[in-house]
Amino acid sequence: MYRFIWLKDLKAAVHTWKGLVWLLVTALIFSAASYLFLTNRELSLLDQTEMLWLLGKVIIGAALLVTVIDASSLITAEFENETIESLLLSPLSLGGLVLGKLLAALTTWLVVYAAAAPYMVVTAAGSRLTGAFLVYVGLFGTLAVLGFTLLVLAVSFFYRSLRNTLTTSLVILLALALPALFSPVLKTSTLARIAGVANPLDSIFAGLDNVLVDYHTGLAANLGFLVPVLVFCVLALGFLMLSVRAFQRRGIAKD
Amino acid sequence: MRRNLLPLVLVAGILYAQASTPLPLVVSIRSERALSGVAGEYITLEAEVVNVGTQPINSVTTYLSLVDVGARMPVDLEDWSAEKGLFIGTITAGETLPLVWKVHLIRSGDYTASVVAEADGADLPVVSRVTYLKALPKRNLNPGNVLPVALGEPILLVFGFLLLRFWRTRKLRPD
Amino acid sequence: MAGVISARAISKSYGDRKAVDGLDLAVEGGAFFGFLGPNGAGKTTTIRMLTGVLRPDSGTITIDGHDSRDRQHIASVIGVVPESRGFYDWMSGEEYLDFFAALYRIGDRARAVRQLLADVGLADRGGTAIGTYSRGMKQRLGLARALVNSPRVLFLDEPTLGLDPQGQEDVQQLLKRLNEGGVTVFYSSHLLHEVAHLCSVIAVINRGRLAAVGTLAELQRQTDSEDLRDIFMALTND
Repeated sequence: MYRFIWLKDLKAAVHTWKGLVWLLVTALIFSAASYLFLTNRELSLLDQTEMLWLLGKVIIGAALLVTVIDASSLITAEFENETIESLLLSPLSLGGLVLGKLLAALTTWLVVYAAAAPYMVVTAAGSRLTGAFLVYVGLFGTLAVLGFTLLVLAVSFFYRSLRNTLTTSLVILLALALPALFSPVLKTSTLARIAGVANPLDSIFAGLDNVLVDYHTGLAANLGFLVPVLVFCVLALGFLMLSVRAFQRRGIAKD
Repeated sequence: MRRNLLPLVLVAGILYAQASTPLPLVVSIRSERALSGVAGEYITLEAEVVNVGTQPINSVTTYLSLVDVGARMPVDLEDWSAEKGLFIGTITAGETLPLVWKVHLIRSGDYTASVVAEADGADLPVVSRVTYLKALPKRNLNPGNVLPVALGEPILLVFGFLLLRFWRTRKLRPD
Repeated sequence: MAGVISARAISKSYGDRKAVDGLDLAVEGGAFFGFLGPNGAGKTTTIRMLTGVLRPDSGTITIDGHDSRDRQHIASVIGVVPESRGFYDWMSGEEYLDFFAALYRIGDRARAVRQLLADVGLADRGGTAIGTYSRGMKQRLGLARALVNSPRVLFLDEPTLGLDPQGQEDVQQLLKRLNEGGVTVFYSSHLLHEVAHLCSVIAVINRGRLAAVGTLAELQRQTDSEDLRDIFMALTND
């Protein structure tokens, strides 16, 4: 049953132009970033591996931004457009609805990833890191998008309004992304190190650094970076389950 | 008035001359007087420091100084060289020590490089002659075929969207 | 098909406000059941509890012999035109009905969609985007969606709202035909003449409680009034 929700949301993304506009925006960001990295008089002199690391961060960052914005409306639009009642009256289970929405968000990521792939290939040309670059951006990106989508869906059931869901989700994304902008000097204290390990985005960016700059391309060498992201996904799933249960208790009408 | 100040000026001059005794160090750049390379390349700047005095000199530090001739500004050596300064420590009398800097030509332009040496207790640093660095611009357009992708993909997407729009409009019958 | 809808002592509160307060309802199979009440009386909350999208705080509900918490079964036997009438405006009417037919696992969806559009008088507009529909057309489409699974029990919350007189007549005729075919109709409306004309049994609720239930004749005797409007006023004036 989730299949029909998934397909419906994919068609909506295409027919309402929403998804297409986002895809074009991300493609333009990737164009600008890859062109800038390679042609800017100073940036282009970075080691190629560092440039790949930067581009990997841009791809995952842009994909997260797009999926968070897109996923924020997946559930809330059903509430705000008053279509949720018709869905809940059908034999579709709440789990099926959530799964369909989750797959729609992951498909958005897949499309963004597919759009990013040519940029990754051309920027990694000659580095012997093309495969690792594609695999690890895909792996880390998928886990990050999965975790954030679960979180956004949980917030959606809680607020039922696009504005509140979007604001909350963006604040969470920004809060987790901010430490990535800090210089390494600010991350030397014990507390900062613990926060860095607990922060899934920090782990992802450090993982990409481990693969692309330090050439540790084996999966075993990156488990330490994958575990915090997996933990984040599990926590987000738990939050979603609580949020769905609360929705079932409260029902469709808001108190 | 002027006569009254004369003794003071003389005393100050004597004190200054005593404190400003030049270090018995000679710093010279051994590389050619003009070096050049393409932006992005690394060049090696070789120099040496010699203690021409009769006593050892303690806590000697040498550092590279780069000036952007076009901008008439000193260059922040961040990214240009991993070791901006070299701490030598004690240099014995008559000793000659080689100095080597690996310089990454980050930005195209004309620069002057000089090497400076300082030591504890000395008020005047010793400076080498100037060497001219020329970083030629790097033509980086279309590296790795990024340009066809950077331009082509958005254009393809727009074309695809318009095609979809056309197909959808045809599918949905007007009212 | 006796007692197809049964609610016993159901209550629902929103914060401190009791929307439905110990309501008992029993609707026999094949009935055309009118459900009346002033604004805020708890009609929509009651329908939402009966159709399983809202859990009562207390009390039990059975539809077609199944507990209303058994959503899968309830969904397969009921059709609902809810109070909230959202549509996917980017879809065409055909696509919209096809989507719901898929959710209900209808076999020959294309044929079912064509038939539904014809039943509600939208056969010539099925291919256009819902966003271009008038309010009345959307009402018809909502009714078509409620019928997509050929329900045995039909819940309607103000189904003729926004329809022109011809549209109202068309919908009434369709509902009559369905009811004659054995479909139990639970009909909530503000249009008293419609209820008087269509319904075999009428219930009136006020402040979340059942004020009266019976045939029109029984209500007339109970309130000593002829007109349904007078009956309504007599039962809901505190």
